Amino acid sequence: MDQNKQKVGCNPITTGKMPMCGMLAVPYVPVQRSTEGSYAAENGLAKGTLFPGLDLPYRGMVNEKFEQPTPLQELMALGFAVDELNLYLDTHPEDHEAGELFNRYNKLYCEGMSEYERRYGPLQVSSADGTDFTWVNDPWPWDLPKHKAQKRNMPMKKED
Amino acid sequence: MFIYEKRLQFPIKIEKPNPKLASIIISQYGGPDGELGASLRYLSQRFSMPNSRLKALLTDIGTEELSHLEMVGTLVHQLTRNLDEEQIKDSSFAPYFVDHTVGVFPTAASGFPWTAASIGVKGDPITDLTEDMGAEQKARTTYDNILLLSDDPDVNRVIKFLRAREVVHFQRFGEALELLKEDLDMKNVYHHNPSLEF
Repeated sequence: MDQNKQKVGCNPITTGKMPMCGMLAVPYVPVQRSTEGSYAAENGLAKGTLFPGLDLPYRGMVNEKFEQPTPLQELMALGFAVDELNLYLDTHPEDHEAGELFNRYNKLYCEGMSEYERRYGPLQVSSADGTDFTWVNDPWPWDLPKHKAQKRNMPMKKED
Repeated sequence: MFIYEKRLQFPIKIEKPNPKLASIIISQYGGPDGELGASLRYLSQRFSMPNSRLKALLTDIGTEELSHLEMVGTLVHQLTRNLDEEQIKDSSFAPYFVDHTVGVFPTAASGFPWTAASIGVKGDPITDLTEDMGAEQKARTTYDNILLLSDDPDVNRVIKFLRAREVVHFQRFGEALELLKEDLDMKNVYHHNPSLEF
């Protein structure tokens, strides 16, 4: 290995751990060390990862943070942090710090989801009211924002 | 089982219809390295995976891929709404339009319909995880290529997110292989297939 590189030392955020003696003829990917230096949820959602070491954009094409995020975008950011830490914990059974971070985001996500559903309608059938079944209402996730539909003389519906 | 959550993983709002671009992006819906294949690959491989953490990882990434399938479908849908006659006649979109109108059909951009032949479920954990690492790289390259072909900032924002997820999934599958090795014969990881019980 290059001696100079060794002297510089390993950045715990952007480099992982390799085994002391690796077996031949089988692939190795360095194991991520920790969740140290994680982006905040909203920045993570924009970039597509919470982890700076895995933030490796193509030709410098990077997403900026959401300006004035909507309530749904705020919820997406919390949900994304939960998803990302879920995958990390799948392969990092011993990392309690990451576990606590997961718990914090999961709590915020569950609270945020309840509040969102109270204001805008159910995100899951389990929180729908059968006597006022707004589950069926637009917008569905793939629908266009309403100002576009208006041009086609579609009836206006509530927008979040 | 699965429960639907009525939201996307990442926000999508495409201002300008662009059927030409839709006919490229459809490849990540039903093409050889697309999200349908990704989700079915991982959700199918998990049945023969011997390690509990790897069952979890395949389930969790496979589930996330379903949300990416929904996002790519949303991109195609929003790029093909309110088309005028000229846009329908666009030479790169007309072959799709004649068969599927503005429905979202799982096909490669080349016109080849989605096929299970483009995914691998070998029933050997090292083989399957190695396939998965390759699959994530192929999907990343496809998203790189879409970024080169597209100049729509609303679309590219979404593609950059999806591309970043491929890099994270590659990392997790690599780590999964390290977890698997702990259960294998350290002198010869190919001594036997841990998915077979004899």
